[in-house]
Amino acid sequence: MKFFPGCMIHNRYPGIEASLYYVFDKLGIKISPLEGSSCCPAPGVVKSISEELWIELASRNLSLSDEDILTACNGCFTTLLEASSKINGVDVRHVAEFLYREVGIEEIKKRVVKKLPIRVAVHYGCHFFRPSKSKGMDSEKPIMLDELVEAIGAESVSYRHKFVCCGGGGGVRAAATEVANDILNLKMDAISAAEVDAIVVICPLCLHQFDVGQIELREQRGEDYDVPAIHYIQLLAIAMGMDVDKSGLVHHNVVTAELVEKLIQGEIME
Amino acid sequence: MISREDIKALNTCIQCGTCIGSCYSGRFTALNTRKILMEFIAKGKPIEENDAIWFCTSCYACTERCPRNIPLTDILLKARRQLVKEKGLPGRLDKAFKALLKTGSLVPAKDEHAKLREDLGLTLYTAQFRDDAREEVSKIVEKHIGGLI
Repeated sequence: MKFFPGCMIHNRYPGIEASLYYVFDKLGIKISPLEGSSCCPAPGVVKSISEELWIELASRNLSLSDEDILTACNGCFTTLLEASSKINGVDVRHVAEFLYREVGIEEIKKRVVKKLPIRVAVHYGCHFFRPSKSKGMDSEKPIMLDELVEAIGAESVSYRHKFVCCGGGGGVRAAATEVANDILNLKMDAISAAEVDAIVVICPLCLHQFDVGQIELREQRGEDYDVPAIHYIQLLAIAMGMDVDKSGLVHHNVVTAELVEKLIQGEIME
Repeated sequence: MISREDIKALNTCIQCGTCIGSCYSGRFTALNTRKILMEFIAKGKPIEENDAIWFCTSCYACTERCPRNIPLTDILLKARRQLVKEKGLPGRLDKAFKALLKTGSLVPAKDEHAKLREDLGLTLYTAQFRDDAREEVSKIVEKHIGGLI
């Protein structure tokens, strides 16, 4: 498979990519980067300006690969999957649904060398499961990510507004940051009340919104939540034996010593 | 552009309000999907520059729940395109699209990001870092929206 990084993973959260290579190497699945790829381009924001530009850039990215494409971003997943169906291109997969559907929960459990008994708030991100038709997912309450975090020993805590948008998509973060942060504020109030160690996402744009948005909420509104956000693949890599340092978590904007300590310790499997 | 088919679909709306009830952005803002789509599009009124149209996160919750299966989100994105054609690119998106034209990325890497990749043992391989690929992407961006940036 070819890994399509997109802007946010290649340029902001490369720990996701390092973790993904670690996991796939351990699973014995061959994966290499899609060289020369550009912005996917982002579905909401680029389609808001020019649909012709959107499809041509997406087609170019798809044409760079004759293998299936794997993404770890909900935006890239949406764009490449939709474009691929229009031009009959290669198959496009999101790492979370690939792990769930192709590798399977039981196999993941077997690969865990260190259980991570932390409490987490999972956040799917709208574009992972909607539009639901093209993705073959439940449009209201998917369960994949809950099962995936539980497979590595974490507890997926139920919280209010679990399926509310992070606020960052569709160009809103760029075009109307205040609105993006209003939505985040609501979401963070609920996550804070659930008393979790971390927010687990499967999209770097959601990660960015939680990670940078919390800093903005603190500086602009005095709201100090301090709940780190982490991509599922980073957690899985750590559970499969990767050093916490190499997962990139310590380079996120919001990170707590408590979480890092819990991830380093874990619960070593016999 | 908004097609006759879109207008036909919009006119099957039964005004149930599920779309606005499902709208996360609408909880905080003046974004009223139903109003924008009905007033400005189905009734043929021109879409005026209206900040609210940029508040949609394109989460597709309204589209998924619409009992009439009206493709609300896609029509709203079309309405944005129509607005951009008439009024140009909204100022706040200018920086991102300039970056796309110049680097092939809406969120390009700066030195600090390149360094972080290096620290994690990763190479720099996207169009931003390959002259031929970057020029190819730049040409595509220029062709479609060069006049807007």
